[in-house]
Amino acid sequence: MTPRAARPEATGGRIAPAAKPAGARARRIEGALKKTFDPSAYIAGDDKAEIRICAGTACHASGRVALREALDKELAARGLGDQVAVVETGCNGLCEEGPIVVVRPDGIFYPRLKAKDIAEIVETSVVGDGVVERLLYKHPQTGEALAHESDIPFYQLQERIVLSLNGKIDPYSIDDYLARGGYRALAKVLAADDPEAVIDEVERSGLRGRGGAGYPTGKKWRSCRANNGDVHYVICNADEGDPGAFLDRSIVEANPFAVIEGMTIAGFAIGAGNGAVHGYIYVRREYPAAVERLTRALKEARRRGLLGVDILGSGFGVDIDIVRSVGAFVGGESTALTATIEGLRGSPRGRHIRSVAQGLRGQPTNVNNVETYANVPWIVEHGALALSTLGTTTSKGTKVLSLSGRVAHGGLVEVPMGTTLRQVVFDIGGGTPPGHEFKAVKLGGPSGGCLPPALLDTGIDYEGLAAAGTAMCSGGMVVLDDTTCMVDLAKSAVGFMAAESCGKCVPCRVGTQRLYELLDKVTTGRAMESDLDRIERLCDDIAEGSLCGLGESAPSSVVTTLRHFGDEYRAHVVEKRCPARVCRPLIRYSIDKDACTGCHVCFGACPVQAISGERKEAHVIDHELCIKCDSCRQVCKFDAVSVETGILAVAEGRQL
Amino acid sequence: MARSDGGNGRGRTEPKSSALYEVLRGIDFEKRELLGKAKGVGLFDLVKDKDGRYRCHACTLCERRCPVDCIEIDFCPRFEELPFDVEAERSAARALQPEIDMALFDGVIARIREGSGLIEAFHTTQEAYGYLPRRALEEIAGEMKLPPSRVYGVASFYSQFRLTPVGKHVIDVCVGTACHVAGAPLAVEAFSQELELPVGETSADGLFTLQTVNCVGACALAPVVRVGADETYGRVGPNEARKLVRKLRKLEVAS
Repeated sequence: MTPRAARPEATGGRIAPAAKPAGARARRIEGALKKTFDPSAYIAGDDKAEIRICAGTACHASGRVALREALDKELAARGLGDQVAVVETGCNGLCEEGPIVVVRPDGIFYPRLKAKDIAEIVETSVVGDGVVERLLYKHPQTGEALAHESDIPFYQLQERIVLSLNGKIDPYSIDDYLARGGYRALAKVLAADDPEAVIDEVERSGLRGRGGAGYPTGKKWRSCRANNGDVHYVICNADEGDPGAFLDRSIVEANPFAVIEGMTIAGFAIGAGNGAVHGYIYVRREYPAAVERLTRALKEARRRGLLGVDILGSGFGVDIDIVRSVGAFVGGESTALTATIEGLRGSPRGRHIRSVAQGLRGQPTNVNNVETYANVPWIVEHGALALSTLGTTTSKGTKVLSLSGRVAHGGLVEVPMGTTLRQVVFDIGGGTPPGHEFKAVKLGGPSGGCLPPALLDTGIDYEGLAAAGTAMCSGGMVVLDDTTCMVDLAKSAVGFMAAESCGKCVPCRVGTQRLYELLDKVTTGRAMESDLDRIERLCDDIAEGSLCGLGESAPSSVVTTLRHFGDEYRAHVVEKRCPARVCRPLIRYSIDKDACTGCHVCFGACPVQAISGERKEAHVIDHELCIKCDSCRQVCKFDAVSVETGILAVAEGRQL
Repeated sequence: MARSDGGNGRGRTEPKSSALYEVLRGIDFEKRELLGKAKGVGLFDLVKDKDGRYRCHACTLCERRCPVDCIEIDFCPRFEELPFDVEAERSAARALQPEIDMALFDGVIARIREGSGLIEAFHTTQEAYGYLPRRALEEIAGEMKLPPSRVYGVASFYSQFRLTPVGKHVIDVCVGTACHVAGAPLAVEAFSQELELPVGETSADGLFTLQTVNCVGACALAPVVRVGADETYGRVGPNEARKLVRKLRKLEVAS
């Protein structure tokens, strides 16, 4: 079904670290792994009749619970409760079309389901083997009804390694994971008993940190192993603070086992025969489902002997604890992260002491991102060559992106490195909503930059994006169209950075605040042209003088928007005009007399009674009273409410 | 700022018996090394204003820029002795909030004695009370033998820890990038007007708290609003925001 399965033995090459002949040790570990599997608890199966409901955040918010209730009721009424399994999976990817249900074994894909449609689906696709044509996904261009996930363009262009089990396993069932080859990589590593070989393999695969900085993972592991300490710490950074990024959350919620297996392998590679090893998963408290699933997965792994002392009878032991983060963006910085685990304020420290030498509690510490760890079991199982054939010369493998914003099909996307932004936004994401023009794509949350249409052919890899003036960051990708004001967007990003600055160093603490004030001058029409130079200089100073990555990247959204969308800044400053009609002091709402039918809906929606007019007659907005809340424009069915901008609007409109 | 005194020592009128002069005399400025003194001793001083205040702002730039990493700035120095009576201060703080039910606090103490860290102690406290009462912070400081300033410093650093009680319905409006471009600021304003409440505050009747959050991870449904722990609403514009508040108000009246 997935592209991964479509290339069965392209992975060939050298088989991961099993350099030594499989002897008694390998057989013993193999046997121990088999014993961990409990077939009675195994729910999902490829050939069984089963209904998979996506329980990702977006699907949950769009009515997954009601759907589940209706389904249970329907199955019970038909007496099918025992024969048809219902599995709640992690995020399926196509979040825009939630809630998503897939009916197995035919794999029929039903998006945007309502509880009332359930009876029809059970009748046709579960009891019978037909398809409810009316409810299928329609091709965005041709309108053709598509029955299977593999037919949908959104999925066709992806290459799923990390997400390969998303939507296929129950995140609460370790047996589902074991049945699909889970923990084979760990068994292989333990059987070979050669930590250096694991590091070699990861190094050869070219895997680089997926958190954004792109440091070679193998190299980091090697230097961490080389440092002596009482304990080696292995930390998984699941503190996904970037607004607009939900990929780490989706990975953990859909398949927590792969992350834990990856961490266990990393623990073995770094600490086996090298003193004690301990792991921590630092996960956002705002993600309760992720915390719960990880806790369950750790407990199960411990119970089956896949974690803890003497894993699979190999003599190697590592345990992993969960630490809940407490909502600080800077907490994702690795030195701030270790400070938080130690119970201090999460302030980063200077970079001359490296975490791999002196990290958590002064011991050698390896910090990697969720996605990096999730890649590890796949590399061990399929060999370094399999990963290094994907991607570009310097960036190997795939990247998971969370696509959102003004795009037709937002969701979770995994593509090989080097895929261009154009392919992701237009071919996978389906472009901007109809009637709107693509303006830019913002990468990596508030600390990332904005790339204009001219740079759409930039490949998604560490060097390519750096050359274009932004960074990979964590993989959040927000698409912007003509309804977005770039100055307002930059202002909101800087406001976020100012609020999240830990306050340790002046350029970041004070600089971001001043930058916010300057941008506020621009968006309210109070700025002069000299302010633009001042903004540019201040951006340089903040980037140059800050202590950690947060401060260094804080002005990047301003720098890139100023470079690519300088005209918009100048329109605000010189003409006092907001081209996207967003900045409220520069706009004015009015009603088109000819289009207004006098339906009175906007009259009721206006919270300040600024709209007057009789029924069936054109309505009028009182600019003195109007607070520009956009309510009337949103309720109008006839597009009669328009937004003007320009010098006239400023002269007549009320200053907010 | 720290000053590594280049060649300025020479040619100036000799200040008698000043400590700095003693240091300067010990430097061979041609070779830039110290004569008869341990490496590095006395090379640095912090400049003071006319009225005797240090000009240093502890901005840490010198720490960052030092080529030999010889500067470390610790913003939380540990004093051996405090200039006031710690026990008296602490018992005064404990008497401040007599309404706090300390029975709930036993669980926190138990967790601390199990060896949970400061952050975990805060989590347990917040689960028990819904926020971190001042009195509980003092107790934690006492139990963990930490200065209250350190405990308070950590508690106030993280946005998830609340130092004031929250309302029955906590409304979190997502203002992450995707929600921002979809019009979240308009929704925030509508909530604020309808609840007659500034962002970040709790209504006088203790029913509502209005907050903004950075990304709840449901960007496909932007703008997103979360009410309480797990009720999530998607595509909330100003009209939907007002309707939601009215719905919650109606539920309150009904109960």
